[in-house]
Amino acid sequence: MRITEANGNTVSAALYTAGSLAAALVFFAATLAGDYDWVARPGGAAWIFALTMVILMPTVLGIVRERVTGEKAPPTPHDHEAMLR
Amino acid sequence: MTDTHTQHKEISIPVAGMTCAACVRKVEKALMSVPGVEECSVNLSAGKAGVTYDPEACEIPQMAERIREIGYEVPAATIDLLVLGMTPGHCEHIIGPAVRNLPGVQDVSFNFATDTVTVHFLDSAVSAAEIKKVIRSLGYEVHDKGVGEEGIDRERKLRQEELRRQQLNMLIAWPIGALVMLFTFSMYEPLDSFLPDWLGDKYLLFAMTTPLVLGPGRQFFVHSWNGLRRGVTDMNLLYATGIGAAYGIAVINTFFPDAGFGGERAVFYEAAALLIAFIVLGRYLEALTRGRTSEAIRKLMQLRPRRATVLRAGAEVDIPADEVEVGDIVIVRPGDQVPVDGIVIEGYSAVDESMVTGESIPVEKRAGDMVIGGTLNKTGAFRFEATRVGAETALSQIIRFVEEAQTTKAPIQALADRVAGNFILAVHALALVVFLFWFFVGYDAFFEEGTRLILTPYELSELEVFGFALLVSVTVLIISCPCAVGLATPAAMMAGTGKGAEFGILFKGADAVEAISRVQTVVLDKTGTLTKGEPSVTDVTSDEILALAAAVERNSEHPLGEAIVRGARERGLDVPEPDSFDSIPGHGVEAIVGGVNILLGNRRLMTDRGVDIASLIPDAERLETEGKTVMFVARDDEAIGTVAVADTLKETSESAIRELKAMGLEVVMITGDNRRTAEAIGRQLGIDRVLSEVLPQDKAAEVKKLQDAGRSVAMVGDGVNDAPALAQADVGVAIGSGTDVARETGAVVLLRDDILDVVAAVQVGRQTMRLVRQNLFWAFGYNAVMLPFAAGLLYPWLNQIVSPELAALLMALSSFSVTMNTLRMRGYTPPVKRGPPPAPAETGPRPQPATEAST
Repeated sequence: MRITEANGNTVSAALYTAGSLAAALVFFAATLAGDYDWVARPGGAAWIFALTMVILMPTVLGIVRERVTGEKAPPTPHDHEAMLR
Repeated sequence: MTDTHTQHKEISIPVAGMTCAACVRKVEKALMSVPGVEECSVNLSAGKAGVTYDPEACEIPQMAERIREIGYEVPAATIDLLVLGMTPGHCEHIIGPAVRNLPGVQDVSFNFATDTVTVHFLDSAVSAAEIKKVIRSLGYEVHDKGVGEEGIDRERKLRQEELRRQQLNMLIAWPIGALVMLFTFSMYEPLDSFLPDWLGDKYLLFAMTTPLVLGPGRQFFVHSWNGLRRGVTDMNLLYATGIGAAYGIAVINTFFPDAGFGGERAVFYEAAALLIAFIVLGRYLEALTRGRTSEAIRKLMQLRPRRATVLRAGAEVDIPADEVEVGDIVIVRPGDQVPVDGIVIEGYSAVDESMVTGESIPVEKRAGDMVIGGTLNKTGAFRFEATRVGAETALSQIIRFVEEAQTTKAPIQALADRVAGNFILAVHALALVVFLFWFFVGYDAFFEEGTRLILTPYELSELEVFGFALLVSVTVLIISCPCAVGLATPAAMMAGTGKGAEFGILFKGADAVEAISRVQTVVLDKTGTLTKGEPSVTDVTSDEILALAAAVERNSEHPLGEAIVRGARERGLDVPEPDSFDSIPGHGVEAIVGGVNILLGNRRLMTDRGVDIASLIPDAERLETEGKTVMFVARDDEAIGTVAVADTLKETSESAIRELKAMGLEVVMITGDNRRTAEAIGRQLGIDRVLSEVLPQDKAAEVKKLQDAGRSVAMVGDGVNDAPALAQADVGVAIGSGTDVARETGAVVLLRDDILDVVAAVQVGRQTMRLVRQNLFWAFGYNAVMLPFAAGLLYPWLNQIVSPELAALLMALSSFSVTMNTLRMRGYTPPVKRGPPPAPAETGPRPQPATEAST
């Protein structure tokens, strides 16, 4: 599927949700190898999912926007310096 | 709003609701995503976004909308106008589109019952006066409905609202938080002896904490969700995660005590409650700091005169000050505020200009003198002709400069914002790693019964692997929050630029503050900077010689000639009209006075004409050694005497140079004078390094040479004539610009003609940067020190982990330290401005040479 400006957000949502779910699943699978109870496994997986979502959401959205719409990245400190001179 | 390019414009958009560096990045990111926006720089403390954009590609409402989309407010000014002559159903189609076409106008509404047109607009893009002018041009009569000060009051109201909101949050959060903590520990010594056990009931604690989370705590969840769904993270996310996790664990332990989160005795309601209380306290302190640091601007804005008395058709008319037009004759009575800038045409008075220029002594005004809008007339009465009105007045220019300066970012601030912005993601990544470590490795390897939370009586014996790893992970999130970082630099910069304005020192940007604080070499232009730039006669062979020289120069427009004529007149000498006059460029003048040929000029002129000046040479050389410019006078080719002319040192030049050197700065004087003369002045002033015989166009190259030698250079000079050198320097300081600020090219503009202000500018710059560094230390210090503890690095040895409430306390301490540190700037006075002004040079103002080459 070609990523366009219109479907950019949907694609991003699909990517970061999938990534977070994958991380949670990997975590869950890893817990199966150890002696963990019924709270630790899904609870831990949920926490991993939440943290991964927080990390991936802005990262993926930024990357997709930049690639698809050619949106400019926010100014770097160097840009600021240049701007001020 | 100014044009920076043929099609690019700059605008400052007010943004409300930003709380941290991440908000800054969020708004910048949103604005940069608007097609047509070229550059964007958001200042947290000022609550403004400086945007450079292409007006053909985007409009201001579009930018405002984008800011609102990500959850912030763009407070618009509102003006109610009484528009007479409107008819319903028709006039809104005439007035509406015309007003809406103005840049920055967001909405126009009509109330025909009261003849009122209400306009919502961004006052940084369009002024109320411009709106009124447009409506008037359509043939309507427009009156202000008494909201002239709305723009000034609105900001204060917004800040007060924010303060009130946080105060209310504190009033709710602190008592409940304190009670929840007290009740939680009611079963532990010594509280158990006088508090009943039932107070510690987990259901009671649940009932008390829940409204806190849903009330004052709700804002953090709403803001973080608004940001997240648009792909941006901010501090609110850390707060929300911390509060949510602490509260979530407490709820689980209340209703499902066997779930492995520490059991029913480990309910963390007090952690969630205190977390909210501390964050709200931090917010309150930040709101307080923001309000205080922008006080300088508000003080300047309050100077804006409201009314003016002008002569219209021979009668005195009282009108709003913003309706005074250029050319109006304005009447000022004792105690009146001068409404606009102008030139006195009649009357005499003393005017207090301290509020604009920092000059503490009232300045005498008589016909021909300039008056500044916003200053206060003291005793006499006068009339003046308005020369600059509205946005062109000195006061408006000064306000604009200070506002713009506060919107810009110093390089150190841009770096801090970026670090803080990325820090949030990094913190979540760290929390993830910490969780994984304690879940899979740490718990089994190190967890022991009797684990305690630092500074709490809890024993976490029932804490199982998930609860333990989650607790440590959440604590990392809370303790790492660099919430004070966003405020650290801009608050200090605002305080610094505001403090500068108080003393008549305008920094055109935060970068100028940073640059002047790092200066190593100060290059001072001689004429007009160290000297008054007005030569006068200091030595003359006799009055007869002076009278002859004055007669020769009587029609001259050369500064030296004018000085000689003025000198003769001051001594009461008769200055006859010459029969003929001939200027010899670079040499002098020749004239026939009373039928006698008189030559006045330098050695070369005398040599060329074969005049023997040998007898005058010893005297001339002595005068030149003293730094004076000597002109020879010959009558019918016979040398008869000399006239020495010199510029006069400013009273404070010597003490200023002494101060600059005492601050460890290298002081260099640059002048077009010949070497001997220049060195003589240098010696008198205590300047070690003198760059002489430098033509005006070569000054920039000299500055560059110093820079190439690795020096950070400040060039001090006239903002107009020395523009290239000022631009070349690391920081250009335009001195004595009076009030025509807009013409100046320096990054720092000194309103007064006092070189001691250069010293004050460096001192304010250094103090501001000191404050920035201290603030950054306080903002990052706690996080950096406590992070390893929070991550459980010392747990294997101490058997204790940091509690979420302790993490919150440290976080609030961070904001508290930054706030208190910044507020210290309010009482700061540059050392050079403390007490009586430094004593003038021992011999008072000294004459200095005024050569033709001097500038």
